[in-house]
Amino acid sequence: MPFLPSLSAVWRSPWLAPFNDVNALNDLLGQVNALWSIDRILARVIEVRTETADTRTFVLRTNRLWPGHRAGQHVVVEMEIDGVRRHRTFSIASAPGRSREIDITVRRQPHGRVTGWMHEQLRPGMVVGLSAPRGDFTLPETLPPRLLLIAAGSGITPIMAMLRDLQARGARPDIRLVQLSREPADAIFRNELEQLARGWPQLQLRTWYSRLQGRLDPRALDALVPDADQRSAWLCGPHVFMQAVLAHWQAQGRPAPQHESFGAPLRRAASGERVAVRALKAERMFTASADLPLLQEAESAGLQPKSGCRIGICQTCKCVKRSGVVRNLLTGAVSAEPDEQIQLCISAPVSELSLEL
Amino acid sequence: MDGSHPPPAASSIPGALTREQFDALQKELDAIRDEVLASRGERDARHIRFIVRLARWCAITGRSLLHFGFVPGSWLLGVAALSLAKILENMEVGHNVLHGQYDFMNDPALNSQTYEWDIVCASSNWRNYHNYLHHTHTNILGKDHDLGYGVVRVTDKQRWVPYNLFQVLWYGMLAHFFQWGVAVHDIKIDYYFKGKISWQNLKQRLKPFLHKTRRQLFKDYVLFPALALWNWPRVLLGNMTANLIRNLWTNIVIFCGHFPKGVRVYTREETKNESRGQWYVRQMQGSANIEGPRWFYVMTGHLSHQIEHHLFPDLPAHRYPDIAPRVRAICEKYGISYCSRGFFRQYGSVLSEMVRLSLPPKEAAVS
Repeated sequence: MPFLPSLSAVWRSPWLAPFNDVNALNDLLGQVNALWSIDRILARVIEVRTETADTRTFVLRTNRLWPGHRAGQHVVVEMEIDGVRRHRTFSIASAPGRSREIDITVRRQPHGRVTGWMHEQLRPGMVVGLSAPRGDFTLPETLPPRLLLIAAGSGITPIMAMLRDLQARGARPDIRLVQLSREPADAIFRNELEQLARGWPQLQLRTWYSRLQGRLDPRALDALVPDADQRSAWLCGPHVFMQAVLAHWQAQGRPAPQHESFGAPLRRAASGERVAVRALKAERMFTASADLPLLQEAESAGLQPKSGCRIGICQTCKCVKRSGVVRNLLTGAVSAEPDEQIQLCISAPVSELSLEL
Repeated sequence: MDGSHPPPAASSIPGALTREQFDALQKELDAIRDEVLASRGERDARHIRFIVRLARWCAITGRSLLHFGFVPGSWLLGVAALSLAKILENMEVGHNVLHGQYDFMNDPALNSQTYEWDIVCASSNWRNYHNYLHHTHTNILGKDHDLGYGVVRVTDKQRWVPYNLFQVLWYGMLAHFFQWGVAVHDIKIDYYFKGKISWQNLKQRLKPFLHKTRRQLFKDYVLFPALALWNWPRVLLGNMTANLIRNLWTNIVIFCGHFPKGVRVYTREETKNESRGQWYVRQMQGSANIEGPRWFYVMTGHLSHQIEHHLFPDLPAHRYPDIAPRVRAICEKYGISYCSRGFFRQYGSVLSEMVRLSLPPKEAAVS
């Protein structure tokens, strides 16, 4: 497998063109073996396992560019769906150490275009792109004496990686794991967790099923785990739930748990409202009207984006939208995907935005 | 040559239609655009990747034949393959990618803002004068600098000067060195001499040009010949010929797109306060199509469908043949001319117009 240790300055020199055209070389290598690439981490799906009715685990075998991960980290997965490259972030559910193999466990989102595609179309043999592993929702080298892990829904995935890692390393710390699910059939990894707990007396499971027991009031956590205030806590789950738990911890004067959020919901701006826009290159924030083209508002804020025709033809003002939602003023089409290119002169914000501007 | 054929009914001028008709026409064209946008997907990704690979393998084959071919005829084959590679890369890939036609794929290799093509014209210069100036101000005298490329008088509305007497000659030179014509187009050195832009501005415009031409010349005339060792003259001459063939071909296609008989040129006054519908009409009347088989369309980068391209410059170009009959039907419905002919008739018309316009206007023609 061809691999260059680093793309040095010599290699990137424009005088070497076309021999150093990385896109072309990657495409040529990819035609020989779909996993070969000079600089892209690629992975082949080797197994798809059903965990619950709406959750599946995809076992991925990466190429040699995968640097290995730490338990609790996440990865951005790049998939090409109907000709369009789309990116989604998933926690890695497997422990490090399996050679170049990782699991991602994916819950199908209602109306989710990408998770829906993964459940229906992503099959063994297919190849996806990966980012390097990211994130610091991990356990420290020296474990605290007592831990409390709280996982809601698919928030169990990074915590599962931690537990699998501890087990593989032979560490058996004192852990209370609170797993929240809708109902028992929905609890991801339920069997594996119970099995793990049987051989690990200091690991005690507490479950909470919202369909049977109602929504969990964070105060009830103290009843489930009476010594919660004595424990170092890790928390992962939906945004609203995590906010409630963090508020409770703060109210009790406890140090904030380590936490990992699966994306905060975006609030939609109404007509006449102004929303916050983050210009990443200029390192500036400005506000923009939900009714006016972003180009005009960026210029009013003193930025000078490149522009040409100002009527949506010439593409000069095109820029990458890292996050947020915009509306095309000509067609009414809405762009909600991360990393999509938008034309500033005909796009108006629908939510808070981050732009490569 | 058959420039003697009457032009397709050039009946309508903006103003012949009512405001409501322009709006209705706009809605019909927008509907076509929305339909293509909604169906954009894997089919388009497959097409452009296929052409990228085809162009790449043509280049590898062509350069290998030039370097290592010892059989008689290998030089000619090599030149043919390399010319084909450059034509496909410049026209079907480069031009269309730079229009943002494939930005929807989110593939960094096909991104309009970063793509650099195999031609001396820098992408950044091109994006300004072609995507912005030419496509926004299409065929407006004094605003669209593609009208005759500053070399040829292409309409009666342009003032005749004695220099035009020999314009067929000037045109022949432009065609041979077309990539250089395209490359210096956005620099506007004439503006500098006329005092319209500052030295600073000129330097700014020159920078990407010098940067790109240095690399491009080095690649075709130093690096590849040097790699061929004692075979260097063969490779140098081959690369030069391939660039020349590409120049002639792109020039012919582009001149067929805007300068045959029957294409309308506008004045600034006519296009003041233009509505979107009027803009659409100007794009259709200011462009001309070339008819031919499907492979020919690919060879022109689908500029064979200049009319559809000017209506929707950011739709994947290989869709233009699909929507062309509907665009044509809309033109007929509203009585708008749709200039479309076969290749030889269209180029013949370009040349005969060029000859006609090289002569001073007769008094009668001026009115």
